[in-house]
Amino acid sequence: MKNRKIGAALALSVSVVMLALAGCSSTSGSTGGTEGGPLAGAPDWCGSKEITLGLLDGFGGNSWRLITTAAGADEVAKCPSVTNYEYADGQGDTQKSIADIQGMVAKGVDALVVFPDAGQAMLPALRSAYEAGVVTVPYRVNPGGKDGVDYNAWIGADFTTDGANWGNWIKTNFPDGGNILFLSGPKGNSQGADELAGMKTVLDDSYVFVGETPFDPTNWDPALTQQVLTAAIAKNPKIDVIVSDFGPSLVGALPEFKKSGRSIPSLVTSDGNVLGCFWEDNKAANPDFKLMTVATGNDNVRLAVQYAVAVATGGVVPSSTTFDAPAFEDSVSGTPNPVECERDLPGDIFLSAEMSPADQAALLK
Amino acid sequence: MQDATMRDSKAVTRSRMSVPKGFVTVTVSTIALFLLSTAIAPSSVSQGALLGMLPFAAVLAIVGLGQMLVVQQGGIDLSIPGAVSLAIVVVSRVPNGDDSVLVPAIFLAVLFAIAAGLVNGLLVGRLGLNSIIATLGTNALLFGAVLGISGGSPRRTTDLLASIAGGVSAGIPNSVFFAIGTLVVVALLLKRTASGRRFEATGANPNTALVAGLRVKLQQTAAYVWAQLLFCLAGILLAGITAQPTAFQGNSYLLPAVAVVVLGGTSLLGGRGFPISTVVAALFLSQLDQFVLALGVPYAVRTLLQAAALAAGVAVYTIDWAAVRQRFSRRQPAQVA
Repeated sequence: MKNRKIGAALALSVSVVMLALAGCSSTSGSTGGTEGGPLAGAPDWCGSKEITLGLLDGFGGNSWRLITTAAGADEVAKCPSVTNYEYADGQGDTQKSIADIQGMVAKGVDALVVFPDAGQAMLPALRSAYEAGVVTVPYRVNPGGKDGVDYNAWIGADFTTDGANWGNWIKTNFPDGGNILFLSGPKGNSQGADELAGMKTVLDDSYVFVGETPFDPTNWDPALTQQVLTAAIAKNPKIDVIVSDFGPSLVGALPEFKKSGRSIPSLVTSDGNVLGCFWEDNKAANPDFKLMTVATGNDNVRLAVQYAVAVATGGVVPSSTTFDAPAFEDSVSGTPNPVECERDLPGDIFLSAEMSPADQAALLK
Repeated sequence: MQDATMRDSKAVTRSRMSVPKGFVTVTVSTIALFLLSTAIAPSSVSQGALLGMLPFAAVLAIVGLGQMLVVQQGGIDLSIPGAVSLAIVVVSRVPNGDDSVLVPAIFLAVLFAIAAGLVNGLLVGRLGLNSIIATLGTNALLFGAVLGISGGSPRRTTDLLASIAGGVSAGIPNSVFFAIGTLVVVALLLKRTASGRRFEATGANPNTALVAGLRVKLQQTAAYVWAQLLFCLAGILLAGITAQPTAFQGNSYLLPAVAVVVLGGTSLLGGRGFPISTVVAALFLSQLDQFVLALGVPYAVRTLLQAAALAAGVAVYTIDWAAVRQRFSRRQPAQVA
């Protein structure tokens, strides 16, 4: 389940939006680049040295990954200096993921962007690629190790920011405190712990976390989520807010409130088309059901690609190596967006992603 | 005289329709568990909690009944994860939200189930492969199909299926009716028809059955096909219950399915099956989950408690308690002397 969606709440940071904008503007007329400098007609992270780039997934088999991979390829396509692009899927097999890295290095790629699902187990392979002179950029999952020693840079996700975003919303909408139920993935995953730390920076003691500390483990599994939620509903007569780092997995579980004759409470989570539509369908019958989401991190890969391409081609290296996830939907204030639902498109697309909903839907056909 | 009559009638009852030991054990345990739940964690027996628990108990009961049929033939079916996941993927990915395609999708899922059952049945029944190896292989094949069809992500279940499988009628989750229906069909076929008796006889002793002229290989193959059909039904229900299933939803049913069969008193060596006890055992395990969740103990303790309950349940059948008692009673006089 860990693979289902390793990180549930990330997106384009302001800096990346600006970079993308810079990219767009530079297409309309920037100065030509010399060898090692930015390439004319391309984003500034795209230098003029021609390279081969490999994108490696530890596990490519779900819709979130499909969209993320396509986003990576889309970002690569913005830079004409990348003359050859290759993709490999580790299929959830650590051995294969390592072999994929070694294979790409042997084939002579210049840059590698790696989703190291297996975490620390991937570090030796990453290090050997880096030592072989390949620009190595792991992203999203922390493989351990250090920037500039084991790889060029880890483009990680800042889950604490998600937590802080959630905390701020809770504070605004429940100024007098409240009971919070926090659901995350497998027991001991660092994402959940970071998110809790982020919330704790904003919320004081008047906010009570009911349930297990630091979070109730659900393994991001819809069936287990349903069971955990059922128990929590029965046990806690008052739940004001549910916080979850994988919103779409709650769609099957939230109707448990109805079975107990209670309104679905506020939900603070990550986005997904299915969730937006669920909110629209159920808001009338559930007066307490407010929804706030942060963007899920499909575009994390874009920053990683930009970084790898910039280093390998001699472009302008992005200044940030972390993604701060912005808030995406808010059913109360409508800012930055009201809740969105594309009813004609599949439930498992992510409207927060840079890629258009129609393109995402086409990928999932 | 009265005593004698009573003793006689008791003896007759015992010989004609004795209550199986497994049924008594598992029912008493389940009642005890519910009493314990009421006393220690009352929230786990509240209406909402029960309505949340029962659908999963129903799915587990159906999967368990399928496994029981295979176990009766002295086999074991480890392709449950693939079978359940494939049914889920077919009924959610193929219709892709379109209710009108749901029925054809269900037919397709049933076809897959029959095919998988035949593969298992032929490998084990006809070719005599070890059932663990053969069904593990089939499991891998089924997961191949799961990934091939879904690319790893099924779609949201259609609304129709969600309302049928996840809905509630007369205050009882619909999935419970499916489980009861399955139980009735399995129990009647097994216990009240000639072919059912032949099936059990074959499982109890294939050699004798062969000598008696029973078609042993056919019975064994049939067990795998029936099992797959039940796994398929469970998968379809689970798709509706979870509404937004994953492609690997069947994984969590492998061990519990064997557990309920064993807790229900069916011998892993084959022979008599105990459908009602199996279903009660499914209720027991599901309530145990809910109980430890309601206790609010840490996740680690939760897992340990479940494992301990399982071990205790299995021990009831596998340990020769008579021998243990005998040993103790033999030792005591020695201590006195």
